[in-house]
Amino acid sequence: MADFHGWRGQRLRLDMTNLTYEIEKLPMEYYKKWVGGRGFNTDVCYHETWQGMDPLDPAAPLCFGSGPLAGTFAPLSGRTTVSAVSPMTSSVMGTEIHGHGDTNMGGAFGPAMKYAGYDQIIVKGKAAKPTWVYIYDDKVEFRDAGHLWGLGSKKTTIKIVEELGDPDIRVSCIGPAGENLVKFSCVINNMSASGGRTGMGCVMGSKNLKAIAINGTKPITAADPDKFAKQAWDLRERIHTSPSAIRRRAEGSMDLFDVGNAIGINAYKNAFAGYMPNIEKVYGGMQWAEQFLFRRKGCWSCPVSCGRYTLIKEGKWAGYHCGGPEMESNCNLGCRIASYDLAGVNVLCGVVNDLGMDSISCGAALSWTMECFEKGYLTEEDTGGIRLEWADIETSLKVADMIAHRQGFGDILAEGNVRVANKLGKGLDCVPHCRGLEHISVDPRITMGFSLGYAMSTRGSDHLKNYSCLEFPGCARSRAYQIDEIFGPEGSKKFWEDFPKEMTELDTKPVLCTWSEKNKCVADLVSCCCQAIGSWGGAGSWKEAYYPLFKIITGTDMTDDELFKAAERVINTERAIWLRNGSGIQDDTHVDRFFDEGVVDGPYKGKKIDREKWAWAQQEYYKCHGWDNYGFISPEKAKELGIEEIIPDMEKGKKICIDWLKSGKTPTTPVFIPETFRK
Amino acid sequence: MALKEEKVIVIDPDKCTGCHSCEMACSMKHFGKTHSHFSRIRIQEFREVNTFIPVTCQACEDAPCIKVCPMNARIRLESGAVVTNEDKCIGCRACVYACPFGAPVVNPDNGKTMSCDLCMEDEMGPWCVKACTLQQALKFVNARDAARAKGRDMARIIAEDYMPPKQDSDEFAFSFSV
Repeated sequence: MADFHGWRGQRLRLDMTNLTYEIEKLPMEYYKKWVGGRGFNTDVCYHETWQGMDPLDPAAPLCFGSGPLAGTFAPLSGRTTVSAVSPMTSSVMGTEIHGHGDTNMGGAFGPAMKYAGYDQIIVKGKAAKPTWVYIYDDKVEFRDAGHLWGLGSKKTTIKIVEELGDPDIRVSCIGPAGENLVKFSCVINNMSASGGRTGMGCVMGSKNLKAIAINGTKPITAADPDKFAKQAWDLRERIHTSPSAIRRRAEGSMDLFDVGNAIGINAYKNAFAGYMPNIEKVYGGMQWAEQFLFRRKGCWSCPVSCGRYTLIKEGKWAGYHCGGPEMESNCNLGCRIASYDLAGVNVLCGVVNDLGMDSISCGAALSWTMECFEKGYLTEEDTGGIRLEWADIETSLKVADMIAHRQGFGDILAEGNVRVANKLGKGLDCVPHCRGLEHISVDPRITMGFSLGYAMSTRGSDHLKNYSCLEFPGCARSRAYQIDEIFGPEGSKKFWEDFPKEMTELDTKPVLCTWSEKNKCVADLVSCCCQAIGSWGGAGSWKEAYYPLFKIITGTDMTDDELFKAAERVINTERAIWLRNGSGIQDDTHVDRFFDEGVVDGPYKGKKIDREKWAWAQQEYYKCHGWDNYGFISPEKAKELGIEEIIPDMEKGKKICIDWLKSGKTPTTPVFIPETFRK
Repeated sequence: MALKEEKVIVIDPDKCTGCHSCEMACSMKHFGKTHSHFSRIRIQEFREVNTFIPVTCQACEDAPCIKVCPMNARIRLESGAVVTNEDKCIGCRACVYACPFGAPVVNPDNGKTMSCDLCMEDEMGPWCVKACTLQQALKFVNARDAARAKGRDMARIIAEDYMPPKQDSDEFAFSFSV
């Protein structure tokens, strides 16, 4: 067997039905093909599932993956990817059509997996009763979780740590929301580091798996330790001296509120209004830190430590403390429901986290209800007497708890907005989503790279699959050399001619997005933080930041092009999971309102997406990827990437796609599909 | 006995974020591989309240570990660091139990104890301190300054009660030039 450095050479398969496990050795070729974390997961999620699979089917795999840099001296290397077929997402063809789901969490779970000797954990089956799993090196125990069932994520972790008497054990668990199969429930590790999006907690709950506690004794070696240490120091030094890293440390991800408000992109009032007045004065990172910062919280081996720990010092909630929030939590549980009560919003963030729900989708559920009340779509009769008005934190807290426990109207909201609107037949136009996953806090009508990214993302609307931060003027200016690399001399000349107006145009975005998503994917593959090569960007791009570390630790002969190609392979395989279900061009789009209604206020007041341009950008983006005009992966592309096995699935999927488009059926929510494809 | 002029690692737990970068740096430096168990500095976690205490050898003036070692394996280096002579150590862990901080760590490879040697032969200084550049929970300072800096921090809090009200310095700027 080849000697593995960085990688572990094996993965663990848990069978929850029979309460057995299997350690599977993997060959070097496998590692070269799928590289790490998100790659391994994607491979399993495509090859061990089938077209039309129910995400809550016991046979559906739930994967925890970590990459070659996790648990090493490489900075920013504490990330873990959790993947499965997503119960949360859906196609516009029908709410029961699901696709790929994954989520990336910080904390220390991935490194602990590596110390125990595994690159990946795959969970299948369904336990007869609530169970948690204890893993220490080669020892795997299935333990009864009866006493943990119903507990929040923090308490669950504390109880497990107490039970094992090991403060260094790393616990990934679900809260009540995951137990009750709330579609947007999350997996939480290290008390408050959550893998939020796409409902991975729901899949974990469906297996009756309350928690996985893991650690081990196996140190991680490097192919060339001296060179690796030198390279890691080099990146660390770059981070230590990066002004953006220093700012990120001081303000957390909430430093983005400044930029966000200057452009007017923050999700205000269910994300359709766009601009929230004076948001940075209330939500800005420094203001927040002065009022609420108890102490910073760092993911494994991260010198920046942008994580926060909140302590509310005065007022009604005085004395409450919790992990978080991040910028997205604050924005989606705050701005999105139009609240300026920051203390209340932070309590809401803490509670939602503890209940084990995705703060973005939970905020979206609350704000959807609020908008529906405002528009008169919903009345107290629909909700069992509850009335949700904008900025009502008290009721929001109550409703969040009802969602997690599936009580009353909460039981309906727990299905995710698209399904809720379809079930009630109300508020269909109030769901800002792509592929059934609600938008994050950036308005898709202004920064068009993010906009295209949401639509093309392989897990539904999300910025973290297509992290095209270079469209923001500040990022582009400070990383101009990357623009040259992406667009070439001609393209970059045009980019700078249009700069900074190009941010709001689609022209350069297909090329930018194609590059950005691979850039981000490399970070996921090696288990490193995407923020360092994205929003604050002090580490450079994947090529300077992560490729050298990856090469040195593993001692691989993979070139940088091959690593970039591996990222493309992973993205294509994830998309293939959607495509085989027929979800192509009809889902690569936004809801009609973003094409019809302008931004309500702010510097880009009145801005909306142009239909014609969008249709052009869609096709351009497909071309950049080598896909056909329905967005399907061509046989040539599949062969080039070494995933020929998807070709028959693509043919079947394309037939479903075209049949649906020609059938004239109405999509689940009103979305823009270019007319030529519906004839 | 004169107060030593050596440099020491000073810990500020309030600034520790529990990222374990110091452990990764230490194990990388001394073993060329990474795992907390191979690190001479350890983060003790109280994660439920987000509180983290870095624990490392304080190179005490009157070190109990030196006294208690039955093999005289605990020795003080010229740099001031107190380390284990692995040739003599029998792995009885008496130094661990005698240390008021529980700072010595058992080397998982051979069962002998080890503690911080301040990376003295390295130009960069202690790797753990360097890895904590942004957070500043670990600092490498003269032993004398360590006490003085801490005293000044505390004094600043007390001094606020004795200070005159804050002034806008521009408004009261006097010129002494002729």
